[in-house]
Amino acid sequence: MTALRRIGTSLAAPALAVVVALVITTLVILAIGQNPMTALQVLLDFGDTPAQQTQAIVVILNRAVPLFLAGLAVSVAFRMGLFNIGVEGQYRMATVVAAGVGAAVVLPAPLHILLIMVVAMAVGAIWAGIVAVLKVTRGVSEVISSIMLNFIALGTASWLLTGPLRGSEEGAAIITTTDIPESGRFPALNGLFDAIGLAQPRGQLFGFLIVAVVVGIVISVLLKRTRFGFDLRATGLSPSAATASGIDARAMVVKTMLISGAVAGLIGLPDLLGRTYHFGTEFTAGLGFLGIAVALLGRNSPLGIAFAALLFAFLDRAAVPLQFADIPASVVTIIQGTIVLSVVIANEIARQVSRRRAEHGTGQASAPAPDDGATGTGPAGTRIDARQEAGA
Amino acid sequence: MAAAGATGGTPPADGVPYAVELRGITKRFPGVVANRDIELRVRRGEVHAIVGENGAGKSTLMKTLYGMHRPDEGTILLDGRETTLRSPADAIAAGIGMVHQHFMLADNFTVLENIVLGSEPTRGGRLDRAEARRRIRDISERYALNLDPDVLVEDLGVGDRQRVEIAKVLYRGATTLILDEPTAVLVPQEVDELFGNLGELKREGLTVIFISHKLDEVRKVADSITVIRRGTTVGTADPKTTTARQLAELMVGSELPSPETRTSTVREAAVVQLTGLTVPSAVGRPAVDDVALTVREGEVVGIAGVEGNGQAELVEAIMGLRPLASGTVTFAGQDITGWSTRARREAGLGFIPEDRHRQGMLLEAPLWENRILGHQTRPPAVKGPFIDRRSARKDTERIMREYDVRAPGPDTLAHALSGGNQQKLIIGREMSAAPKLLIAAHPTRGVDVGAQSSIWELLKDARAEGMGILLISADLDELIGLSDTLHVMLRGRLVATLDPSSLTPDELGGHMTGAHDGSVGAA
Repeated sequence: MTALRRIGTSLAAPALAVVVALVITTLVILAIGQNPMTALQVLLDFGDTPAQQTQAIVVILNRAVPLFLAGLAVSVAFRMGLFNIGVEGQYRMATVVAAGVGAAVVLPAPLHILLIMVVAMAVGAIWAGIVAVLKVTRGVSEVISSIMLNFIALGTASWLLTGPLRGSEEGAAIITTTDIPESGRFPALNGLFDAIGLAQPRGQLFGFLIVAVVVGIVISVLLKRTRFGFDLRATGLSPSAATASGIDARAMVVKTMLISGAVAGLIGLPDLLGRTYHFGTEFTAGLGFLGIAVALLGRNSPLGIAFAALLFAFLDRAAVPLQFADIPASVVTIIQGTIVLSVVIANEIARQVSRRRAEHGTGQASAPAPDDGATGTGPAGTRIDARQEAGA
Repeated sequence: MAAAGATGGTPPADGVPYAVELRGITKRFPGVVANRDIELRVRRGEVHAIVGENGAGKSTLMKTLYGMHRPDEGTILLDGRETTLRSPADAIAAGIGMVHQHFMLADNFTVLENIVLGSEPTRGGRLDRAEARRRIRDISERYALNLDPDVLVEDLGVGDRQRVEIAKVLYRGATTLILDEPTAVLVPQEVDELFGNLGELKREGLTVIFISHKLDEVRKVADSITVIRRGTTVGTADPKTTTARQLAELMVGSELPSPETRTSTVREAAVVQLTGLTVPSAVGRPAVDDVALTVREGEVVGIAGVEGNGQAELVEAIMGLRPLASGTVTFAGQDITGWSTRARREAGLGFIPEDRHRQGMLLEAPLWENRILGHQTRPPAVKGPFIDRRSARKDTERIMREYDVRAPGPDTLAHALSGGNQQKLIIGREMSAAPKLLIAAHPTRGVDVGAQSSIWELLKDARAEGMGILLISADLDELIGLSDTLHVMLRGRLVATLDPSSLTPDELGGHMTGAHDGSVGAA
């Protein structure tokens, strides 16, 4: 009952936010003189043939996988009260190095993929670790250092791409790393469609989807069921209480950032191992920043982030078809932006409402509470006097 | 009792309307009536004290008078005119000023800047410092506040800061000043200075409403007294004819439970031993200075002292939350000076923190998670690296039952509980780990009388079972009643060791202020 109600209230805020965002977007589309219903149709139109429809699903899932990983990376840090704005830089660094390493070696298939993943996670973790070390040793705000490291990461990734890891021909329009050989490519999941009796789509469904699901489950268990996760969440809820309970706050900052960075390192791999097989100037950018929005929308819970990633991917899919319908693709961005803003506001309102309800709901000691800690010396003074008089 | 019982319904003799009159003020919060039928009459130009225990509703009443919320029933009359106060701005416009207990000053601003902040005199869009300075000097002289407008607030002592707060209120033209527990943060000399200032204010015709629970001070400074108990005014008293005992009876309404323990259970073995413990502070002299202390099995060692004399730092040093400048902590025969807080807790240190919201609980987490807090490495909370949710829930239910924690269930969020129930949960949690030493900092602060006596019982039982307890408290009866040995802490040092069996609270009070004065209570 209480669990049901809690789920209900936790869903109410995002649902309301989506509705508000749709209303605002409708107004925007009306303002630019287009028909909002057309836009809605485009959003919901997955195509006419079964193959087209499954293709739309593949596009959505393929986009959702990296978004999910990005949201997860951000949320791990969020849960401890750390703002890892540097996911963008972490995954770019991780992807370029992993692409380079993956192309340079030849190993049996599973090992090759595993090596690329480990390299990517390690690079992401190291890049995030710099932020952590700066924070615990020098007190540098993780927001500032991770933003700065984003710039450094972009520059370094470009240098690696044009310099040591360059694989494309001199003078080619698009600069890329050398392609990862067959053994390092992640097999597609298209067999799944046959298995459940759907039409084969044109494109390939990223096999990395499975890795993302596993990572999501691992992170979920880690946060909810383990001591480490408890320490992490406790630190996020109240650093002072966490420290008093014996949690080493500095070690937690380092560990959490390493985990966040390691997950961030995986963000680029679905594309790298499932489609492009190389890192290049046209490699998907901005996933780290979208991850912040996805984490916010998903309220930092792995399941919520999965839904948020799917919603964002669903909206992103419509970007091209919208242009065919003469509606600017930026409508999608507007919807996404307003959803996130509305969610942030709705979450805050929900939090205040539940807090106020709890504070006032239990009657005694809640209203006079401001007196409690504040007045200091307690009833001592009173009783001194009582005794004094008794003695006098 | 007779003098105190005569409620002040009489109008002022000279027919001048009351500066402040409250009639039948009632303020409800969902599920609780914080103020009920409050009657208050304050004459122009007097110091009027409002006394009552913690949680009696003094603060709610003052918030009503300062426009921070509106009463559900009743009327407020200022100088005889019915007034509706919608916000503190309304109250300020009506000449009411509030001096908060916790100062609201910007440290890196000067006295002048702090005073004018929010109502700056301007000339051509810029702060008119000359005009501000002139007015502040004027106020300072008139009320003998002795303020230098150009000093940075961070360089001022507590007493000076309080005068800045008073000047801030006067600068805004207040004619009625509300002082919320103004002496709680002051040392005795500063209290005397403050009372001198209040005399000046009174002489200039201003009205002062003085909130306190310290009866001695109230009787010294007030011209009349209104007593609040359980949210309502129970009477007014003339400080000249009422004894402190009569006031105390009015305030409390009944005999309080006694924390006293009788037979000694002190054993030979020392649980914890501190030698030369010194904790540095950010500025000047160390917060804890060369403290040596031993707690034995079955012994309650009390630390008495005016708050802010290093007790909090001492506790944090023992818990490993604060670095030491020097000294050692020996616990159950082992030197634990370099140990982490977690290692100390695992070794058998229990901790009831002074501020349970800051250090004792995760307010936005359910009770069963709060059961785990501080015990993350021990059963029943964990199984290997995993949290054992079922056992944690079950054990939370046990604590709720055995320690009488009133809450719907282990999944209730901690901030839904009252202070007393939160405290009982913390105590139950710490006791469940069967610590060798329990550090209890203000264990009954902010809890109701019923919870207070059950917490005392729990501590007594634990002591009888051989637990060592380090008790830090501001409640002198609690200290004298529970302690086997009592140390007095002053400016970071242990300045006296007393025998609680032959000690009166006023003797102890004398030691705490450093100027032992046994004649305070003579009425």
